[in-house]
Parts: sequence; structure tokens; C-alpha cells
Amino acid sequence: MRVTDHRIVDMAAAAAQRNQSSVSDLSQQVSTGLRVSKPSDDPAAWMTAQREKVRAALNDGTSQVVDVGRERLVASDGALSTLASIISQARDLAVEGSNDTIGAPERQDIATQLYSLFDTAVATANTINADGEYLFSGNNSLTEPFDVTTGAYNGDSIARAVNTAPQTTQIATVPGSTLTAANGVDLIPLIKTLATAMDANDKAGIQNALGGFVTAVRQISLLRGQTGARMAVLETAKTAHDQLATRIQTSISEGVEVDTVAAASNLAKASQALAVSQTVTTHVLQLLDPVK
Amino acid sequence: MSSDLMSLLSLGSSALAAANSGVAIATNNATNANTVGYSRQTVDFESNLLGGVTTGATGRDASALLQQRIRASAGSLAHSSQTQASISDLEDTMTTGGSIDAQLSSLFSRIAQASASPTDATLRAAVVQATRDVAVGINGRAAQVASARQDADVRIGQNMPQAGQLALQLADANRIVAKSGDPAALDHREKIAKQLSAFVGGSARIDPDGNMRFVLDGGAVLVDGTHAATLQTSTDPTTGYQIAQVVDGGTTRDVSAQLGGSIGADVTFRDKTAKTTADQLDQLAYDTATAFNAQHSANAALDGSTGNLMFVAPTAVRGAASLLAIDPGLDASSDKLALGSPGGAIGDNSGGLALFALSTTKNAVGGTRTLTDAAVSIIGDLGSAGAMAKSDNERDQIVDEHLAGLRDSLSGVDTQEELTNLARFQSASSAITKFVSSINDMLTNLIDRL
Repeated sequence: MRVTDHRIVDMAAAAAQRNQSSVSDLSQQVSTGLRVSKPSDDPAAWMTAQREKVRAALNDGTSQVVDVGRERLVASDGALSTLASIISQARDLAVEGSNDTIGAPERQDIATQLYSLFDTAVATANTINADGEYLFSGNNSLTEPFDVTTGAYNGDSIARAVNTAPQTTQIATVPGSTLTAANGVDLIPLIKTLATAMDANDKAGIQNALGGFVTAVRQISLLRGQTGARMAVLETAKTAHDQLATRIQTSISEGVEVDTVAAASNLAKASQALAVSQTVTTHVLQLLDPVK
Repeated sequence: MSSDLMSLLSLGSSALAAANSGVAIATNNATNANTVGYSRQTVDFESNLLGGVTTGATGRDASALLQQRIRASAGSLAHSSQTQASISDLEDTMTTGGSIDAQLSSLFSRIAQASASPTDATLRAAVVQATRDVAVGINGRAAQVASARQDADVRIGQNMPQAGQLALQLADANRIVAKSGDPAALDHREKIAKQLSAFVGGSARIDPDGNMRFVLDGGAVLVDGTHAATLQTSTDPTTGYQIAQVVDGGTTRDVSAQLGGSIGADVTFRDKTAKTTADQLDQLAYDTATAFNAQHSANAALDGSTGNLMFVAPTAVRGAASLLAIDPGLDASSDKLALGSPGGAIGDNSGGLALFALSTTKNAVGGTRTLTDAAVSIIGDLGSAGAMAKSDNERDQIVDEHLAGLRDSLSGVDTQEELTNLARFQSASSAITKFVSSINDMLTNLIDRL
């Protein structure tokens, strides 16, 4: 078999070129940290990673929704806490006002306090969320839910569900209807009723309202319990989101990112092979030098 | 006696001529040691019955079978190289910037967020912007694919006439080979045939009359003896792309499907690989617009109206990707974003939840994939084609390298060997010169004595 000078040089050059190419590929992997930098590097791994990125994006989106829901429930719970406190104070004033030892002037003083509590309760129940919607108006979210004069509810009874995952929803609002007779007593008008009775020195009316406060306390307590349960569900969802985000990132890393130690080792080997092939090429060229 | 001396002188003369031929051939071989496509030349010596030596015709070390394989390999290598380059370019272009799947998932995320606060103007505007992004993103990708197909089309238009020129040169080379039989002419013809193969694929064979006949894989004859067909392109009135044609004897044939080599690779890329990507983008655009519009129009906008679209309704799948656009009403006002249900209050978000549910619904590719998955698959399929082309190209390079080695061992010039031959012939030439000189002296002595 004839082996020509041309062939020897070609073979040496081809070997050097292959090694150069390996060094280039591995250098890129080590510098970018990516084993798969474009789909054709490994179509299956790239597609898996891309699908995981879609999942991550949707997970991130619903995670933010969960945050919004949590913040709303926290705000609602804060308002309910204030309302519970107001109801408690109103009940105490009702008890005080129902005492036979006090007279009309004292009851009028109490009435003044109750009117103030009523205003505070209405203002609290009409709290506007950070997104501009009323916390307790149900889906009539841009309508003031409680009448500032009577305390009557103007919203609807629909609790809003939000996506905690692509196929999962969770209630994230508290409609003001839960503060109405539909769930016990009309909490806010009850304060106004008591204040009016107190102002009018109407003992029967005071007694009657006092009975309503027993229900009101239980009603708002129950409501806060429900709200807390919803918050707990969203907390769990948030934890699940965080865990899923970590798992997805791990999955993406395993699929397309390079094992740094292995890549560095391979790069060292390839660099050594390149150095050897370059030496061989130089040696071959020297051997074939006709002047020599 | 003198008669014998004269015949000895004649014998020496033929031997000297033979040695000189050997020197010339060895020198020519050494000179062309690095000439691409050169086949080592040889010369045969034959001893005469009446004594002396005859120099035969100059031959060349070559194998017709090997040359045939080399031509075929040139076509395959050019095909896979061009295919890989085209796909790789398109792949690089289409993976630069935001991907469609990322834009779609961003739209879904924005919808989920807006659904949590459906009256929030900022969140609604974000959905509208994400809708625009999806439309513009798909438009951009469609334009990139169209541009890649156009580039391939331009190359086809440029390369077909060049291939035609090579066909003419091959026919001319047949004429020269038939006339001279020169080994250099044979090498030249091989070189042209290889270049032609690299352009159009096909195959060439040597006919009994010594002419090379070049035929495309589908049977169209490009070169027959000293006649070459005309290679040209004409514009397809339907697609606007170039059709590769062979014109021969007044007959014009569309040979687009018969082409291999780099032109065949461009045709395949333009009409299959990139077209598939373009079709997939059209389908995705159509499916996206249709799915979102169907749900969105059933929802209620902020003003309670229904029947609002998210995207301009596509009229056909074909061309949907380049025509995809956000609905002008929604583009003008985010109030037209329909996240509620008909008859619902202003804060109703059930329509938004239904829109977000599209993220997991198989609405694409005939109900077999989700929209985001379909978007991932478009680039994934292109990547698979690219990986296959890369693998084909690596295989073809190995084959080509192997064949180059075989050719080199058979037809290549080993300078050491040629230097040895040169020394051998020079030595023979010196010896014969001395021999002729001795005979001449003897003849001179004889003449002087007469």
C-alpha cells in the first residue's frame, strides 16, 4: 500500500482538527455550563428541558397568584380581626347599657361610642385591597360593599377562586355576605341597631340586640376560622410551588447542564490529545521536509 | 560487423528514449505530488522480439470503481454538509431571543395573575402585552423560516447554472479524452464530474466508447458523450420559488425531486424541512388564535360585552403564522379583555380561569398537544433534523476521508518512490549513454581502419 506524503500530512492534520474541535466543544460546555446549548445537541434532552421551563413559568405564574390570594386573605383576616374586636366592644357596651343601674344620659354616651364603632366597622368592611378592589364585596368588587349609613350589604355572595396550579383552584376571597343574616346576623347593621336603641334608651331593643351579638361573635369567629383554613391551604400551595420550582430546576440541570467535574476532566484529556496531535503533525512535517 | 554495430547503436537509442520517458514520468509525478485529483502516471516498457525496448503509452494508476464511489461520496457529503449548515443556521436563528413556548407560557401566567385581580388595569394591560408578544413572536419566527427558505431558493437559482456549466465542461472533457486519451485529461474529467456530483448528486459511468455519462438519480441525463443538457431554473407561479429544470432536445423536465448534492439539499430544506417548520408554525398560530378566541369570545369583558376576540380570527391555516395579530379591539383597550362570564359581576374571573385552563388543554395539532407543547415540538423537531443531518455529515466525512485514503494509496504520488524511480532511470540513462558511446567509439575505430 502506498502512503503518500500528502496522505500522511492530511491524516495528521485531520487528527489535530478533530482534537481541536473536541477542545472547542468541551471549552464551550465548561464555560457556559451547558451540555445542550441548542436543540440539535440532544433533541430529547432539549425538549424535556423546554417542557420543564414551560412548567416552571406556569408554576411561577400560579405562585404569584397564590401570593396575591394569600395577601388578600391576610388583609381580609386583619379586617375580620378588627371587626371581631368591634363586635366584642359593642357587645360589652350592650351589656353595660342593658344594666338597669344606668340611665338615659349614660346610654346616650354609650350610643355615641357605638355610632363611632359602627363607622369604624363600616370603614373596615369597606377596605380596599392593594389591587383597587373591595375586600368584601364578592364579585361586585368595585362597588362599596357596605352602606355607610345603614351598614346594609351591597355586594354578592360569590367567593373568588384563583389558580393555585394549572388544574387546581382555591378560594381566595371572603365575600361580605358572610357578615350578613345569610350566615347568622347582619353584623354591621346590628351595631347601628344597638346604637339607636341605646340612644333612644330602648331597653327592650338593647336586650334584643344583645342576643344578636352572641350570634355575631360566633359568626365572625367561624368566618375567621374559615379564612385561616383558606390561608393554610394557600400556604401549603406556596410550599408546593417552591418545592416544584426546585425539582424543575434540578430536572433542567440534569438534562441540559454539564457535569462540571466530568467536563473539566474531559477538557483536560482533549487538550492533552490536541497537544500530542500537534506534536505529531510538527514531527511529520519535519520528516517530510525535503530541504532537511 | 558494421551492420551489427549499427543495430547495437539503434538498440541503445531506444533504450535511451525509454529511460528518458521514465525520467519524464517520474519528474511529472513528483511535480504533481500536491495537485488535487492528480493520478500517478506510469509508463510501460516492452522488450522487442528483435532486441531493444519499446516505450508503451503513458498510463495512470486509477480505479474506475473507486472513482465512482468518490463521485457518489462527493454528492453525499455536499448534501449532508449543506443540509446541516441550513438547519443549523435556522436552528440558531430560531433559538435566539424569546421562544414561542416561553411567550405562550408567559401569556398563560399573565392570565392567571389577572384572573386573581380581574379589574386590575396593570395586570390586564400585562395580558394584552403578552398577547401582542405571542403574535409578534410567531410572526417573527415565521419570517425567519421564510427567510431561510428564500436563502435556499436563491442558492438553488445561483447553483443550477453553475452545475449547467460543469455539465458543459464535462461534455467538453469527454471530447478531449476521446481525442487525446491524455491521462491528465482523464483526471480533469474526473475532477469536473466530482464537482458536478457535489452540486447535483447523481451518478456517472464510463460508457464502452470511453465517454462519461452523467445521470441524475431520477434518470434525467445531464451529459451523454459530448452532449450536455441545459440546467436552469424557472419561477413557480404558485410558490414563487425556483423550479430546477433540465432542458434537453426541446423537452423541459422538473428535476427538483431528482437532485442530490448541495442543490438537492437546498431543495429538500426549502420544500421539506423548513416547510414542515413553516407549516407547524402556521398550525400553531391557527390553533392558538382559534383556542383563545373560542374561550375569550364566550367570556364577558369588563363592560359585560361578549364575543370579543383575543386574536384576529385566522381564515386558514396556511399563512396563519405571518398573519397572526392581536385583535384591534383588545389592542386598543384592555377593557376588552374578557375574564368574566356572561352576566357575571365586574369582578367575576371564571372566564379568566377558563382561559388559563387552555394551558393544559390539548388544543393543538388536532387535539393531540397543548399549545406550549406544540411550540416546543416545532423547535424540537428542527433540532432532531439538525442532529440527524449532523450525524449524516459526520458519517459522510468519514466515508470521504476513507475513500480519499484509498485513492491516495492507489493514485497518489509518493515523492520518495518517484525520487527512487528518477534515480533508477537516470542511472539507466547514464549506463546506456556509456554503452552508446562505446559502440560509437568502436564504430569510429572501424571507419578509421577502412
